Amino acid sequence: MAMSCNDYRLTRRRMLATTGASMLGMSVQQLLAAQGSSHAATAEHVILFWNGGGMTHLDTWDPKPGRPTQGEFEPIETSAQGVQISEIFPQLAKQMHHCAVVRSIAGTQGAHGQATYNLQTSYRQTANIRHPGFGSVVVHERDRMGDLPGYISISGRAPRAHYLGQKCEAYFVANPGDKDPYLAFPEGIGQVRGNKRLDVLARFNRRFNAGSGDKKLASNQTAVKEAVKLMRSPALKAFELDKVPTTTINRYGDTAFGRGALLAKRLVETGVRFVQINRGGFDTHSNNFPAMQNHGDVMDPALASLVEDLAETGMLKKTMVIMLSEFGRTPRINPNAGRDHWPNVFSGFMAGGGIKGGTVVGSSDKDGMEPDKRPVPVADLHASFCHALGIDPNREVQTPLGRPMKLVDNGNPVSELFG
Amino acid sequence: MMSRFLPAVLLCSVLLAPAAADPLGKVLDQENQDNGVSRKALPGVDDLTYLRRVTIDLIGRIPTAEEISEYESLAPSTRQQKTVERLLADERFADRWTIFFADMLRLRSNAEGGGASIAFIHRAVRDGMGWDEMSRRMIAASGKAGATPELGYILGDNADPMALAGSTAQVFLGVRVACAQCHDHPFDVWKRKDFYGLAAYFGKTRRVQSQFTNTVYTTEADQTTVLWPPEGVEDGAERKPMVPAFPFELDKADRPSRPIARLRALRQKQAQLAAAKTKSNQKGDAGLEALLAAAGTKADRRSSGKKTDDLGVANEAKRDAKKLKIAQARYRASKLRADLAAMITNPRNRLFAQSFVNRVWGELMGRGFVEPVDNFSQENRASHPRTMDFLADEFIAGGFELKGLVRTIVNSTPYRRQHAVGVEDPVRIELESAFLSTPMRRMMSEVLYDSVVTAGHLFDVKHEKGKNLKVVWSRSRVAKRPAEGSEAAVKPQLLADATSRKVMKKPRLKKGKGGSPYDVEQAIELDFDALLAESKQDGVKIERMQVMSKEEIEAMRMQQQAANNRPDVEYFDRFIRSVFDDNPRFSTSMRMASPAAPEHFLRIFGQPSRATLDEKRDHTPSMRQALMLLNGRLTHEASRVGELEPIHKLLTGDTPRLEAAIRLAYREILTRNPTATEIAEAREVISGAGSPLNGMADLRWVILNSNEFRFLP
Repeated sequence: MAMSCNDYRLTRRRMLATTGASMLGMSVQQLLAAQGSSHAATAEHVILFWNGGGMTHLDTWDPKPGRPTQGEFEPIETSAQGVQISEIFPQLAKQMHHCAVVRSIAGTQGAHGQATYNLQTSYRQTANIRHPGFGSVVVHERDRMGDLPGYISISGRAPRAHYLGQKCEAYFVANPGDKDPYLAFPEGIGQVRGNKRLDVLARFNRRFNAGSGDKKLASNQTAVKEAVKLMRSPALKAFELDKVPTTTINRYGDTAFGRGALLAKRLVETGVRFVQINRGGFDTHSNNFPAMQNHGDVMDPALASLVEDLAETGMLKKTMVIMLSEFGRTPRINPNAGRDHWPNVFSGFMAGGGIKGGTVVGSSDKDGMEPDKRPVPVADLHASFCHALGIDPNREVQTPLGRPMKLVDNGNPVSELFG
Repeated sequence: MMSRFLPAVLLCSVLLAPAAADPLGKVLDQENQDNGVSRKALPGVDDLTYLRRVTIDLIGRIPTAEEISEYESLAPSTRQQKTVERLLADERFADRWTIFFADMLRLRSNAEGGGASIAFIHRAVRDGMGWDEMSRRMIAASGKAGATPELGYILGDNADPMALAGSTAQVFLGVRVACAQCHDHPFDVWKRKDFYGLAAYFGKTRRVQSQFTNTVYTTEADQTTVLWPPEGVEDGAERKPMVPAFPFELDKADRPSRPIARLRALRQKQAQLAAAKTKSNQKGDAGLEALLAAAGTKADRRSSGKKTDDLGVANEAKRDAKKLKIAQARYRASKLRADLAAMITNPRNRLFAQSFVNRVWGELMGRGFVEPVDNFSQENRASHPRTMDFLADEFIAGGFELKGLVRTIVNSTPYRRQHAVGVEDPVRIELESAFLSTPMRRMMSEVLYDSVVTAGHLFDVKHEKGKNLKVVWSRSRVAKRPAEGSEAAVKPQLLADATSRKVMKKPRLKKGKGGSPYDVEQAIELDFDALLAESKQDGVKIERMQVMSKEEIEAMRMQQQAANNRPDVEYFDRFIRSVFDDNPRFSTSMRMASPAAPEHFLRIFGQPSRATLDEKRDHTPSMRQALMLLNGRLTHEASRVGELEPIHKLLTGDTPRLEAAIRLAYREILTRNPTATEIAEAREVISGAGSPLNGMADLRWVILNSNEFRFLP
């Protein structure tokens, strides 16, 4: 069989040689500069709240007063002039001058799995390849700061790193505030005994590795060294919430979500690049309104305190806080007083890290059915986050099969979000 | 007792004499010579090293001290072959190699029909079903998820023709054509039309999900969804159904070693045996009769219960017979996929056998003839085509049987060779690429897990009852005074509804334990027998039940929880003290629901998510892995010495026999005897630890964490 397309008349070796040159010969900055997209980062850290299940946009960021689709909540004024949000966020309303809302996310996926995949990776799910989540992209592109892992996922699973490799996987914290047993010697093994064990282990491995000379063994030893460094790091204090004053805990709300937000704040202050806090319960096919009132009670104090505290210390300038969900919910209220899946238009919340405060981007139509002004494709959100972080969303990485993949699926930054 | 015969054992551990003539080794040596390879092959490993290597490879864990002693008691000239036979017959062989297949086929136990498919593979491996037969069943399968256990492969890609074309070529033939879905292959011969021709075999297959029951099945439609030319290629061109075309060439003649003729002879013999067996059984296999027999069993079951109802049983049999007909109409078999399966598994289709032997060779040798193992291409030729063909021929002639192939490889000289130590990297690579030495291989995650469990005697309890009492305080929130009448207690109804529905979808698990921060080190076994038994039930049973999504259940659960925290009720914390005997036992991770959760031990150590074609087992080290072994419960419990372990006796009493204990520890964990230096070092570690028991725990912890433990010798 002959090849029919001249463009592909490349041998594997030549192909590798050409791509290798562009990857190895130039630094990321040079590549960025070459593409004219190099710019200073406005964000160093990201805190992403992932609201699983599909959070209603109409009862949160995009109220529709006086319309049949309004539901049971009234809009309230906020500290950002002309910006109204749902009454379930009374405290956050006072911080909205720091925050932005995109009201015209144009999703395409109506099933939880595919939509979650799309919102978390910017790509559409296909059978042949799995794309990395946004947190993995960030730690792939931005260096680690300090001893803690660059990417931490709280109260649930973050998407995997896939072709970006082990090093870009999230470090998992099951319950914020709980002691992580893997960061200290096993129960009953004191510091002295534990350290002695480590010394003997190092001796054993040195001898064995020297006998072999295989590099695989040495990298195993590096992993042990990194682990021990983390175990001994003072930065671990960031995980300990038991010494945090009760008043602070109560201000964020004594809930897993509140503690998650508080932990996220402490982690970015310690240098963690990306923290994802996961929470579900938004798939409100029935009894949408009491459910959303409960969600508001939990989220409002935490979000408001987080934005307020970060702003106070100046951290908000370089920390982007994001809240997303896989889709919105039907404007029509169903017979079970619930709302069903609605990807056509929904909203996202952002603050800090270069995001212009008090902004509303786009709008949905009068009933919240379709985007009205400035529809924002999902990939544009990711491209915007990249923009703030100084990452070129169009940079290509190679999958193990040698397939080039962009960091973001062809998105363009939403310029209105930035000052 | 142990210590008395150990010195003798040391003497026995001599270097293995050059193995008896093995045809595989000969072919390889000749091919190396013809390739102009000048380096000399490394000698074989010693007897105990071979035992460790082959036990890990065949049954997925290190040998026990008993197995070591048994091995040493066999005559040196035959002990290796005998051990290979013992291991091939071990049920754990099927456990270990099911993982190999599940990775390759991307079977996920939480996917539709995935658990049943894994159970199907396990039984097929155990019973020695040929790879051709297994493949035919999986490629041609049609039916209901779970009830047709082979269906997991087709459903794994949601029965999407394009995805199935890509994965079928890559999995069964080691050829990557998926790029040709969108454009002619950049560095290979595959054209877009080839891809579409292959996809057309899957074009009539439909995945159907019942709206009422959420059950998933496949059936065949009359129309194909694969049309040519592809969308967007020519504007306004009429897109016509693509005609299926098999893009791979078949050999015209048999090869010199006559594998096809030998296979035919084997099949004839097998058919004769089977016929003789059927005759002696003399039982009709009519579907109705079988069903009536089953109905009889049901009647028996009933008579032991409430009521006997002969008429009811007869009716039930009739109903069952009707269901059988409905099933045939509903789950239409795929003629196209049956044709494709026949061509793929045709012994004249060299790629089918070549790609499989290449994978198995790679699994056992650490490197395939073709690397990556699933990238056969004109641009990526085999390093040793003749050796690969020799194996492929023997594989075909032997009825495509995995055990035969594994036996040939592990009994060969190349498999026995030592690692190249103390040489520069280029030399090592040269030696390893010519299979003159064996590369270091890290235990895969399941093997590492099971080996720690084996070394630490954790498959069974090892502490005496009551020796590990632990006090646990738990906090519970209690209402101070019950709310006055009014809304009574919060109804748990909603939640109960939600969870009972959820139960319908849960995988069948043997046992579970939840709520501990160490859950990521638990292995929860799947019950393969139950999964297959379920598949024998009638295929059209309809559970009239609307299944809720897990997201919806979560929403209801949270609402319930919020409702429980009522503002009109005062709560206080009550602390409850409980005592339990912390005497841990661990199950094998080989039969665990897979892939495990992303934060689970198995995943951290490289188990793939089995989601995409380009994902391979990751054997690179990470900090998370180190933390898990340094501080995890599994290594900790494996290190602690239990009273029921043989080593305990050696360490207690008035005069602990330290040296004997050290020797035993080395044998149990590293399958070898310690050197004099190591014994001295271990003595020092133990004596500095306060008590011999603690000292031994320290030593074992170190060895379990060491590189020597983790890498195959």
